[in-house]
Amino acid sequence: MKLSDLKVGEKAKIVSIHGKGITKRRLMDMGIVSGEILIVEKVAPLGDPVDIVVKGYHLSLRKLETEEIEVEVLS
Amino acid sequence: MKTIVVAVVGNPNSGKSTLINAMCGTNLKVGNWPGVTVEKKTAILRLNNLIVHLVDLPGIYSLNPCTQEEEIARDFLVKEKPDLIINVVDSTNFERNLYLTIQLLELGIPVIMALNVYDEAKKKELEFNIDKLENWLGIRVIPTVATKKDGIKEVIGAINEMGLNSTSPKKLTYRDDVEKAVKIVEDALKVANYPIFQKYPVRWVTLKLLEGDKFVMKTMGLKGDEPFLKDAKSIFNKFEGHDEIHSMFAEIRYKIANKIAKEILRNRGRQGRDLTERIDRVVLNRFLALPVFLVSMWFVFKLAFDFSTPISDWIEFVISGFILKWATYILELLHSPNWLISLTTDGVIQGVGAVIVFIPPISVMMFMITLLEGSGYLARVAFVMDKLMHSIGLHGKSFIPMLLGFGCNVPSIYATRILETERDKKLTAFLVPLMSCGARLPVYVIFINTFFQSHGATVLWSLYMLGIFMAIVLGFVLKKTLYKGSVPFFVMELPPYRVPVLRDLVFQTWQKLKHFVVKAGTYILAMSVIMWFLLNTPYGIEKHNSILGKTGRTLSPVFEPLGFGTWEASASLVAGLIAKEVIISTMVQIYGLDGPVEKRNGNSKLSQDLVEVGVSFVIALKDAFLNLISLFKVKALSTEEDEKENPLMGRLRDAFTPLSAYSFLVFVLFYWPCVIVGIAMKNEFGSFKIYGQLMLVHSLVAWLMAVLVYQGGKILGF
Ligand SMILES: Nc1nc2c(ncn2[C@@H]2O[C@H](COP(=O)(O)OP(=O)(O)OP(=O)(O)O)[C@@H](O)[C@H]2O)c(=O)[nH]1
Ligand SMILES: [Mg+2]
Repeated sequence: MKLSDLKVGEKAKIVSIHGKGITKRRLMDMGIVSGEILIVEKVAPLGDPVDIVVKGYHLSLRKLETEEIEVEVLS
Repeated sequence: MKTIVVAVVGNPNSGKSTLINAMCGTNLKVGNWPGVTVEKKTAILRLNNLIVHLVDLPGIYSLNPCTQEEEIARDFLVKEKPDLIINVVDSTNFERNLYLTIQLLELGIPVIMALNVYDEAKKKELEFNIDKLENWLGIRVIPTVATKKDGIKEVIGAINEMGLNSTSPKKLTYRDDVEKAVKIVEDALKVANYPIFQKYPVRWVTLKLLEGDKFVMKTMGLKGDEPFLKDAKSIFNKFEGHDEIHSMFAEIRYKIANKIAKEILRNRGRQGRDLTERIDRVVLNRFLALPVFLVSMWFVFKLAFDFSTPISDWIEFVISGFILKWATYILELLHSPNWLISLTTDGVIQGVGAVIVFIPPISVMMFMITLLEGSGYLARVAFVMDKLMHSIGLHGKSFIPMLLGFGCNVPSIYATRILETERDKKLTAFLVPLMSCGARLPVYVIFINTFFQSHGATVLWSLYMLGIFMAIVLGFVLKKTLYKGSVPFFVMELPPYRVPVLRDLVFQTWQKLKHFVVKAGTYILAMSVIMWFLLNTPYGIEKHNSILGKTGRTLSPVFEPLGFGTWEASASLVAGLIAKEVIISTMVQIYGLDGPVEKRNGNSKLSQDLVEVGVSFVIALKDAFLNLISLFKVKALSTEEDEKENPLMGRLRDAFTPLSAYSFLVFVLFYWPCVIVGIAMKNEFGSFKIYGQLMLVHSLVAWLMAVLVYQGGKILGF
């Protein structure tokens, strides 16, 4: 399942990050690494980007990036 | 005495600049959003037997930069190799900050950790075992609260100690297989004696080579496919699902960070929503976010208007009722020739005065922008606007330099460094001048006071919003033509809301305001004198026959369809090419008031006048605060003033209709960004090319929009 498929309030564990190059590097530098738990906090008024909480801080990501992140929903 | 260079390094928004300000009493720019510092700045700290050069750097998340500002920080660390690093760590965000620390330790430069924002960590009931952390990393760790100067003495003490005899940090060992690969590369490198090893530890160079760092490879003349590198990399089994070894390293480093954090950090806090999250439920709510933004902007302008008007009126009174009067008196006493009296009074005092009068609303605007930056709302605006900005091929972060442009466009040009690509920077810089800066405010205010007094804030708001609207339209056109290209990623952290420190509020506002005050005393002064000459040579000529008058008359047909085809308006606009404040300082002279306005009436004494100036100031302050209070009440206190009207306003009312006045304001909003913006663009992009494009495109936009407003308005019957 992709991070972009999660609904607001859902909690998930990162499985892997697709893509390559600078985007992936930046995501990983900011703590989007496999095994990490994240929560989808909110969606911006115009539907994009989303605000997620990872490692205890708020990070906003666009659909383009959330589609690259494979996750596993936790109940 | 020994001099050392200390780099202050850390994640964006961790409090680096605040820490240096606390140590050295400097006024480096601070703000509650990531990316405030975009260039390196040095502050000097003198200790007993040590001179410390503290270098403030832009924030970084790792030693692999993505933006120009991050590159500045990386280059400084890697190329100039400071003697010591102060690693400022946001303790409420410990693990991610530690990820950078781990990379800093590998550089082999002595490190002191300032565990900052310790107050918020305590509030969140995070408990650190400092001793254990120091042992793990082999460095000094000092808890600090930079905003309250807690722990600053200890940091300075540690710098002093380390500066005199420093110790290198411990080596953090990675997983076994990584260490094995490192060993292979190290052995191969040790044979050849690369000059880079005089500066950097072999281990760091090795890790960077394994990661495929282009910068290091280039410095060493390696290609990355050397047999020993291939051998080393073959140890890793397909990089564990990553196609780049770098990603695997990122995960390994985060694992170390995670392990350390687990051992030294205990979170005893409840996992409930904190204040920030509760505020964001409203401010970032899907339906409320945009209205909240628009309404809060409206309040900014309302405040800029209502609070500052009484004080502006007072300054006006001091200039025309006091300074002008006594200056004339003194000049007459000295038997000065008529032209000199006119130059001093009509030219210098009235011209500069016309701009000084608007310092109060400009101050309020600057204050509000500082508040916006300090509270944490700025990053939220970027979040809310991202989708919209996306449609013009930019992303939300571009909105940050643009909003800052409401203060002054010049720092906004530099603030584009927070963006990832050159194209984004240029496109954003291209749109920044559409954001109405403080220098345009005087023109708006005087016209609004003349024509739209009852809806002041709304008219002002409409102009600023028109600027944003045009930015989106123009951005859309430019995306399809001049600046094609794809949108890079948008990954941005949202800081918690904070109450800005009073000292920061005051000093940061002043830093922004200073520019305008200095400009009034230099630039505008010089321009007022020049304009006086252009209007008065040969002395005694009628104004419309002067050089400026003739220029205005030649150009006026251009402005005919816009509703203000008079030589006076055209000439003022020409003068405003230099800086937009000059429009007003020139208008005062042009529409002026032939002959000295008010002769000193014989019976008032200097002391009486001074008392009156003082008393009226107190009244003005009282009115300003009453207006402030009434802002928040339903019904505004009626100001039963005996409207002593500014003489310029009377003349404007004869020359413009409300419609042509609004059209004029729209023109002023958009045309010809000032020369200082041009210089900033040259500094940032290396040539005047973009400024050239800007002047043409923006002037065209201004003309078209003003025509649209005027002709459209006429059809609608205004
Ligand atoms: N509560 C609290 N706030 C702090 C502390 N130190 C800094 N801040 C606030 O954190 C925000 C960021 O401070 P800056 O000094 O601008 O951070 P910076 O690291 O220089 O940021 P960049 O230049 O963007 O990388 C400001 O709002 C500061 O007031 C602290 O110890 N406690
Ligand atoms: Mg800073």
